[in-house]
Amino acid sequence: MSQTPTSIIQSCHESSGLEIRPDLTAAHAHVWEKLAAPGTWWNGVERLAIAEVVRTALDDKEPPPPWVSASSSGRVAHNPALSSQLQDAVYRLTRHAGTLTEDWYLSMRDATAITHQQWVEVIDVVISVASVLRFAQLAGIDRPEFPTALDGEPLRQEQPSKPANHHWVPVVHLEDMTTELEPFYDGLPVIAPVIRALSSVPAAMDTLSVLSGAQYIPNREMVDLNWTRGTLSRRQMEFVAGRLSAHRECFY
Amino acid sequence: MLRASSSANDLDLDLSLVRGEANESEAVQHAPALANLVDSSVNDLEALSTARAALVELTDKETMVDACAVVANFEMMTRIADGTGTRHPPERLDAIGDMSQSLGLDQFTSARI
Repeated sequence: MSQTPTSIIQSCHESSGLEIRPDLTAAHAHVWEKLAAPGTWWNGVERLAIAEVVRTALDDKEPPPPWVSASSSGRVAHNPALSSQLQDAVYRLTRHAGTLTEDWYLSMRDATAITHQQWVEVIDVVISVASVLRFAQLAGIDRPEFPTALDGEPLRQEQPSKPANHHWVPVVHLEDMTTELEPFYDGLPVIAPVIRALSSVPAAMDTLSVLSGAQYIPNREMVDLNWTRGTLSRRQMEFVAGRLSAHRECFY
Repeated sequence: MLRASSSANDLDLDLSLVRGEANESEAVQHAPALANLVDSSVNDLEALSTARAALVELTDKETMVDACAVVANFEMMTRIADGTGTRHPPERLDAIGDMSQSLGLDQFTSARI
């Protein structure tokens, strides 16, 4: 019998010889459960195909420069579930995110014919895989295999997203909060642009919320500039965050 | 956030720590070992196990695991920000203008300013 997504993560964490926090294991298990299941705009096979491009891009020891197509240069295997143009976009987001521009985004949408919301869900898959696999690599633990794709149709759930001043993608503004977004918006006086960025797809907001709460700081603790789990101080966390972001040439 | 969390504790912080050589700092304990973990994870995977061991030697395994988790988190956040074209509101840009210039962050392609 094949392993469940949760047991894949648990066995990698438990065999590591490290005391990995249960909430961190649970967070990674949660996004692994969603990874190859039907999403909001992509089915399980398509989400898994996106995940495979992410893994290939992360593993590429000599990635081509950002302007070179990963699919036509043979870095990514053809997969009938995804167009080569979308494979290229996923590869570039994974490997060269700091080089993306609005012109690139517009051209990519023309070439792939995907909607803003489908792109947000692509990001959901990219961040799930990048978080789980990079954590495993950094901590020196076994890398979790991907789960098996599940059958079923995407939910196709629309949100009242509107064009935004601070993003290429439309977002749901605080005053338009829906039931699905309540867990992420409710009680907060303002929502940082980078958090609001994924709001047109609540399932992607869920990924962000669950992962950042376990990997970094729970959203509601962000205002406490001395918050700690008892290991890293807040300043140490911000230092690690800033140094990695600088390596990735992420201005935000 | 690093600047805010340092000033909240009346600690002086040289922000060049973030991009340049990470020396010992009152504001960020074990900055060299933490920087080494981050740098190896990006530039030299073969040095990663040594970087992990050095951090464990100074702290403990739990702290090392949490540092790895923060790196993983910002592998996520950077891709959200750059994949969605997220930009700072004008008032925030004003507040960080001196820092982004002095660290050269405003030269990034991703500086949507």
